[in-house]
Amino acid sequence: MTASTNGYRVAVDVGGTFIDFALLDEATGELTIEKQPATATRLAEELLTGLGRLPVAAGEIGRLFHGTTVAINAVLQERGVTVGLLTTSGFRDVLAIGRGARPEIYNFFYSPPEPLVPRHLRREVAERMAADGSELEPLDVDALDLEVEWLLGNGVEAIAVCFLHAYANPAHEREAVERIRATHPELSVTASSEVATEWREFERTSTTVLNSYIQPPFAAYLGDLGGRLKSAGYTRPFALMQSNGGVIDASRAAQLPIRTLESGPAGGVIGARALAAELGYADVICADVGGTSYDVALIEGGHILERTDTKVGGRPVVGPGIDIVSIGAGGGSIAWIDHRGAVKVGPQSAGAHPGPACFGLGGDEPTVTDCHLVLGRLDAQNFLGSRMQLDVEAAERAIEARIADRIGATLEQAADGILAIAETNMTYAIRAITVERGLDPREFALFSYGGGGGLFAAATAEELEIPTVVVPRAPANFSAWGILTSDYRDDAALTRVRPFDPGAIAGLVSDLRELARRATTDLRAYGFDESELDHHYRTDARYAGQEHTITVPLETQWVENEHALLAGVRERFVALHRQLYGHGEEDAPLEVVTVRCRAVAQVGHPRFPEWHSQGPAAAERARQVYFRSTGGFVETSVFDRERLARDQVVEGPAIVEEWTTTIVVPPGWSVRVDRLGDLVLEHGESR
Amino acid sequence: MTTAPTAVDVVTAEIVRNGLTSAALEMNKTLVRTAYNPLLYEVQDFGLGLVSAEGLLWAEAPGVTVFLGAMPDTIKTGIARWREDFAEGDVLIANDPYLTGTHISDTSVYVPVFHEDDLVAFAIATAHWADIGGKTPGGWCPDSTDVYQEGLCFTHQKLVASGTPNQDLWDFIEANVRFPPTVRGDLDAQIAACKQGAARVRALCAKYGVDTVRESMRLAIEQTDAAVRREIAKIPDGTYDASIELDHDGVLMDVRRRCVLTLTVDGDRIRVSFDGTSETAHGPINMPAIGTRSSVRAAVKGLLMPKDPTNEGHFLALDFDLPPGLMVTPERPAPCDSYGYLGVVLMELTIRALSAAVPERCPAGSYQLFGVYLFRVDPREGPPFIFIDPIDGGHGARPHGDGPSLIFMADGDTPNTPIEIVETRYPIRCDRHAYLPGVEGAGTYRGGLGIVRDFRVLEPGTYMQCAIENTKDLLARGLEGGGDADASRIVVRPGTDGEVILQERTSFFGPLAPGDVVSVRSGGGGGWGSPLERDPDQVARDVRDELLTPEEARRTYGVVLHESDAGVRVNPDGTAQLRREAATRKGAEQRS
Repeated sequence: MTASTNGYRVAVDVGGTFIDFALLDEATGELTIEKQPATATRLAEELLTGLGRLPVAAGEIGRLFHGTTVAINAVLQERGVTVGLLTTSGFRDVLAIGRGARPEIYNFFYSPPEPLVPRHLRREVAERMAADGSELEPLDVDALDLEVEWLLGNGVEAIAVCFLHAYANPAHEREAVERIRATHPELSVTASSEVATEWREFERTSTTVLNSYIQPPFAAYLGDLGGRLKSAGYTRPFALMQSNGGVIDASRAAQLPIRTLESGPAGGVIGARALAAELGYADVICADVGGTSYDVALIEGGHILERTDTKVGGRPVVGPGIDIVSIGAGGGSIAWIDHRGAVKVGPQSAGAHPGPACFGLGGDEPTVTDCHLVLGRLDAQNFLGSRMQLDVEAAERAIEARIADRIGATLEQAADGILAIAETNMTYAIRAITVERGLDPREFALFSYGGGGGLFAAATAEELEIPTVVVPRAPANFSAWGILTSDYRDDAALTRVRPFDPGAIAGLVSDLRELARRATTDLRAYGFDESELDHHYRTDARYAGQEHTITVPLETQWVENEHALLAGVRERFVALHRQLYGHGEEDAPLEVVTVRCRAVAQVGHPRFPEWHSQGPAAAERARQVYFRSTGGFVETSVFDRERLARDQVVEGPAIVEEWTTTIVVPPGWSVRVDRLGDLVLEHGESR
Repeated sequence: MTTAPTAVDVVTAEIVRNGLTSAALEMNKTLVRTAYNPLLYEVQDFGLGLVSAEGLLWAEAPGVTVFLGAMPDTIKTGIARWREDFAEGDVLIANDPYLTGTHISDTSVYVPVFHEDDLVAFAIATAHWADIGGKTPGGWCPDSTDVYQEGLCFTHQKLVASGTPNQDLWDFIEANVRFPPTVRGDLDAQIAACKQGAARVRALCAKYGVDTVRESMRLAIEQTDAAVRREIAKIPDGTYDASIELDHDGVLMDVRRRCVLTLTVDGDRIRVSFDGTSETAHGPINMPAIGTRSSVRAAVKGLLMPKDPTNEGHFLALDFDLPPGLMVTPERPAPCDSYGYLGVVLMELTIRALSAAVPERCPAGSYQLFGVYLFRVDPREGPPFIFIDPIDGGHGARPHGDGPSLIFMADGDTPNTPIEIVETRYPIRCDRHAYLPGVEGAGTYRGGLGIVRDFRVLEPGTYMQCAIENTKDLLARGLEGGGDADASRIVVRPGTDGEVILQERTSFFGPLAPGDVVSVRSGGGGGWGSPLERDPDQVARDVRDELLTPEEARRTYGVVLHESDAGVRVNPDGTAQLRREAATRKGAEQRS
């Protein structure tokens, strides 16, 4: 299946304001990019409109991968369905009580998010498993039937089932779900053991309820889209981008939309990994600079750093995902002065409407984009390929009135100060994902993409002393391109606390094999052959007595060799503990808590076409640009990215412009065009 | 007076301040991820901060508020002890309540941070140890009569001197605590956290220069102080007080001691005094002056600037009268292991006092610190274990909404322990973890609900200890006509012939038999505003959600409901009439 598919592959990335398309001709490696404005209520229709503008007919497309914000927006905007929750007797309030902490410790008005299921729709059923998975009390099926009928009589459109210790033994959950599905085949039902097989009942319940909450509308969207694609001539199955960086078939995504929450940012990171592998970078910081947020992820030794849980809108979600740190900093971020008189930037954003003051759409608050314009980095006449005329005076007025006049600074000092604060906010996000893990950012390359990727690349790298920055081709569409490069992935995990010693190793190995079987089943259902699948194992380990764990990657062959497994896990765990926390005993007893398996079915990766080399291009024009290091405006050459030749080097200060974005090359930096057309920025000292 | 800052200074100061705050957060991550003690990794009973070489708070990470305010004073007592004699590579340890402000279980570990040869700052991690020796496993001794009974006492010893561990001291600690591997693991975690913070401060000094770092924080503190004083100036001048009677001091069981807090707002400063407060108690309910000051500071900070990252500037506008010899200013060797009750009392009284001046900023009263220990220390009965469980409870209603159920006021970012973890780790089963309606104060906005956790003991040799206070004179009072809440309680073997209801703290209750249930039931929060003005639809929702009976809806809220297949609905005419009658009756009561 991998090698045989030739023809065209299409990735569709649905974002907040645009739907981005990337079309790959698998035979030639040629890439075509398209954009279509997005309206929340007509996504499937607009997706087809954009698809229709691609130079190939839908019927010719061999494979369609889809990244989407449909699921996360349904969660964040609370536009899900009415959910009923079935729990173990005595525990219906777990979802509402949560963990009881006050993260804003001085805020006496702090409240956690409201539970998505009100109390009368949280119903209890007698049943009980013990922590070791043994049955203490059987499931009361008569009570179950009564509660289900009661819930349906009270307007419930989806049912979530979460029983205690179902991660250790899901038998009761399965029994309940099968019984409900038998009598109500059309009803949306999710068991906790289908979405998360890890302990901590609140977090697992929260994840299950969120899946139920968005499942019906998400499945309806995919059904609508599937129908339209079919009418247009595309009859093959299509696949959805997951938070874990792989795709799953649309039919499975329709059951587990919770897995697609971070579909969008994941695409960029997957793309960065593919590009990094091609260019030979093992350690990469991925930075996606959007209009409202700055998303950072990490590739270490060629592997993307992942996490096993996250929070969305304050609600926990358990499940594997790329570890992405997001902060509210982007082109639309608003600068303001707080009660102490200190300058702040974000997290509030002017968004696309009214947008930055310079958009002339009624915004009068100064944004990061206004500062770039005032300092000459953006061209008022040539923004988004001249599709939009920027209002420099409006930007100046906003910065002067709201910031400069109030802190006694000049316009340029204020604009530069705002950018300096935005840049340090971005560097703290990078610190959070590197230094907090015991990693030194100076040993990484920075891949900077998204609409603002080129504006902040050099500045953030300089602050962190990162020597090399890569701005890929068409950085504003990079996430869509990244989705083209993803594989099919399925994850399985199992929490079972046991000592990590020779006596318990056989049980651990049998769990790993069981997980491999689970992770493989669905992929085989899509037509992949067993031989096409790779398995990646990991285990969460800790010192006996500790609570928090470190995820240790295992070598696949260790599963066949208990001695290698014992020695290998211990060695890697101790090394990781020392790297992260500065200490770690070699011989102290260990425990393993959760074991994980990922099955991967690779689809042929896109080839990278070489960039043209028709003689170095001269500057198109010059303009005055302000740089911090020069303390004023200097005459700066402006280049057209499409005309720069392979291996051409331009010394800063310089500006490189393309259709959707602008790249700043400050004094002391140079930019080189690599063989694929990426811009590689390097600082003087490191060249 | 200093000159006005230039624009560049404002920007640099903000960058440095953010840098120190993010350094404190990194310290937090390191401590949580490496600790061995559930009180640290799960319940997060700790404080972490960066303090200047002079002992001024630069930055902190979320933790327990009373520790955070006490950390700078702990450093100051360390500076008084060592003066110039700090060296690169030192690690110091202190837990004497009279030097650190809380109780002996809360052990502070700190390191001096040098840039070249210049002492710039201290990084400090204060954490509740799993055990500190003393007469009660795990600390929280309810009936000690002097500080010597409460555990091992450190007075700024050097655990590591210039990089060389003082091995005798480490051995001595391990020989004197009940769970040595846990204590050792936690100590390693505290040191790792401090070193993390120190490295970040050194990096900031290297990048911006040590003078810039100092000057930036001086500016940040000055700006913060000015902002705090602007907020205080908005409070009407006057004297505001509040008081409470404690149940007992743990030793003299029939003596009710008083805590009286008076806040005098004068322009842009607040004076804090304790006239009328009882003298030092015989039992361990005293709170050292450092902790007293820290508790009031935390409450005022929360009322004035809840979301601001904290620094010394938040505390400068408060003046304290702290004459020695009171319950809130005890002198050595008075016992203080149960200091935490007064910590909550002082925060709640600060809010209650200022509710007369700025009602829109003040929630009604919340439940008092409450928790249960289940443990086995005799290895002949089975492997020793200790499960310490602070219980969430009802917080006061707000001027604009119902109170939530969260951890008590003096704690902070401290999550409860998941049942699936409890049952995996300890020989305990939980039969129920749920809301406990009926204990909350009624109101236009009702108080937070109580919480119940029913623990079933599975193995012999298990004992119970509990922390409970203010069951007679409640902290959880209503505001603006809202109702008071009910107090916390523990019911042992509920519904059986052997049922025991406990509203007094006890240290060795038991042994409990396998199958015995300990039902831990926390109190509610006070209500805000008259219950007769609560939105009737909200009352109907509470009845629908089984948080209120139709009879209670009628009696307490004056709401008439009717139930049908379509659910619980308000009867508007009946409700209007019932509420009119209730208002008339109330008016008549007031006239007579």
